[in-house]
Amino acid sequence: MKTRKLNLWALFWAIVGLLYFFVPLYGTLDFSLRMERGRLSLKAYQVVLSDPQFLASFRYSATMGLITVAVSILLFLPTVYWLHLKLPQARPIVEILTTLPFIIPVIVFVFGLIRTFSGPPFHLTESAFTTDILITAGYVVLSMPYMYRSIDIGMRTIDVRGLTEAAQSLGSNWFQILFNVILPNLRGAVLGGALISFALVIGELILGDFLVRPALGPYMVQVGRDAAYEPAAMAMLSWGLTWICLILIQFAGRGRGSAPQLTGR
Amino acid sequence: MAYLELTNIHKSFVGTRAVQDFNLGAEQGEFVSFLGPSGCGKTTTLRMVAGFELPTSGRITLDGRDMTNIPPNKRNVGMVFQSYALFPNMTVADNIAYGLRIAGKPKAEIKQRVKEMLALIHMEEFGSRYPFQLSGGQQQRVALARALAIQPRVLLLDEPLSALDAKIRLELRQEIRRIQQQLAITTIYVTHDQEEALSLSDRVVVMNEGKAEQIGTPSQIYNYPKTEFVAKFVGQINLLPVEVVDREQGLVRIGQQLVRAGQTVDHLNGHKVRLAVRPEELNPGYLENANNLTGKVEAVTYLGSIVRVRVDVEGNPVSLDMFNERKLAIPNVGSQFTVTFPEEACWLL
Repeated sequence: MKTRKLNLWALFWAIVGLLYFFVPLYGTLDFSLRMERGRLSLKAYQVVLSDPQFLASFRYSATMGLITVAVSILLFLPTVYWLHLKLPQARPIVEILTTLPFIIPVIVFVFGLIRTFSGPPFHLTESAFTTDILITAGYVVLSMPYMYRSIDIGMRTIDVRGLTEAAQSLGSNWFQILFNVILPNLRGAVLGGALISFALVIGELILGDFLVRPALGPYMVQVGRDAAYEPAAMAMLSWGLTWICLILIQFAGRGRGSAPQLTGR
Repeated sequence: MAYLELTNIHKSFVGTRAVQDFNLGAEQGEFVSFLGPSGCGKTTTLRMVAGFELPTSGRITLDGRDMTNIPPNKRNVGMVFQSYALFPNMTVADNIAYGLRIAGKPKAEIKQRVKEMLALIHMEEFGSRYPFQLSGGQQQRVALARALAIQPRVLLLDEPLSALDAKIRLELRQEIRRIQQQLAITTIYVTHDQEEALSLSDRVVVMNEGKAEQIGTPSQIYNYPKTEFVAKFVGQINLLPVEVVDREQGLVRIGQQLVRAGQTVDHLNGHKVRLAVRPEELNPGYLENANNLTGKVEAVTYLGSIVRVRVDVEGNPVSLDMFNERKLAIPNVGSQFTVTFPEEACWLL
């Protein structure tokens, strides 16, 4: 009887949790479908998706997102690998450093970027191209906690030293070890970090706004000020994109290496 | 000059001397084991041969070429690890082929070599499996094949059987020796298991606190240990405190009982030394013109094929090993018991 009571209690809280999550979502979805009076329609989505400014800002943010992901992987994969292999004692310090983007407000960070890099000797904000370099660097910093942690957790699940030494004894150089042996075994972790970083760049507002670049975040805020139903449609699109990212992470994470051993010793 | 030569090797880590004044010359095709307790420097020495550690001082030469500062990927030295270290993302065949691909060998040659290696380890059917689909013993076989596929000049094995259960360990031990002899490859094998070292090796290096205590054939190591450490670490041994009575005749005394050691004693009469004798060299009963020691039976232990009897001789435990047989007369605990041994069975340390 006691077990049955506990199960009901668990079920109650599960329902409360689901309602807490899905009711606002349902509200937003319902609202986004009511642009046309008296009937449900996809008009708001149609308006959003046909707006050339939306497509341009989405294209810009997606491009920046892909560049950010590429730079982050190239920067963090060798760094975390080296930390695990050669400087494991420095890992706690680096972990603290990687949480700084959570501690320092983005608005402070962007003012710091502008003050440092807009004047001499850099002058990075004087052309669109150099501003894009600056904004990419900013995105890399903002995505650092996610990318670093994903790769770090992935590294903890494999025998980094053993695999490295095995590959070395078979004639591999550092580049071959990293890209033939380490990276394929971190596929899920790297993809996880990449998708979270991509999603972060897609929704980022402050860097795009203050560096005056045509990113999706500032566009969404502007639409939110001027229209009623379109922001709800964009929120649903953004939510859908996030879920697609999460499903991709789950799918990619089901690597062969993570499967349990089938037979005994 | 030997094929693989380690000369005056020293290795220090921060505050620790891991290896001190290590010298070894291994001939081509020889199987040499590094045997010693944890932390004695055997793995560090192996890793210096592999190139994963650089000696603080000293020189490593392979086939006459100085290898001391050559990076590990340029040494052509095969290594098998305790943790197998197979690449989880690759199949068995891909794991074996990896080193050959890195070396840029033609596809047909790689395919042929992988086939040969799979046959060598009797795993022809397992080429398309992934490491997680194999048992520990199978994974270690694949690791061995992978290390051998590149036709290394030296094969290094770092406690390769430690993670396996006893039965698989025994099987794989024989397999390693068979393959090593078949390929006539110079092999260095690190282990803390004396049985493994004695049964596999042409020569054994017994290490302690970073130094090679003794280098010799298994029989030399077991029957003629040069130091107390080697005598105690390899096999069972009785070490009895004795007093020199007549150094010319090699006569010593334990309590009131006299023993003749099969050697002239270096120490002066009256000096305290240690008498060493293996339990299997002792026999029950009294024998004229041999050494005899009498005491009280303290314990009798069944070890399967062997029955070990511990006798208290003048306050010192003396163990005697007897082959177990159905009609063996087992002494009672607490009874008087005499053990006998020839003078050539014992020596002084």
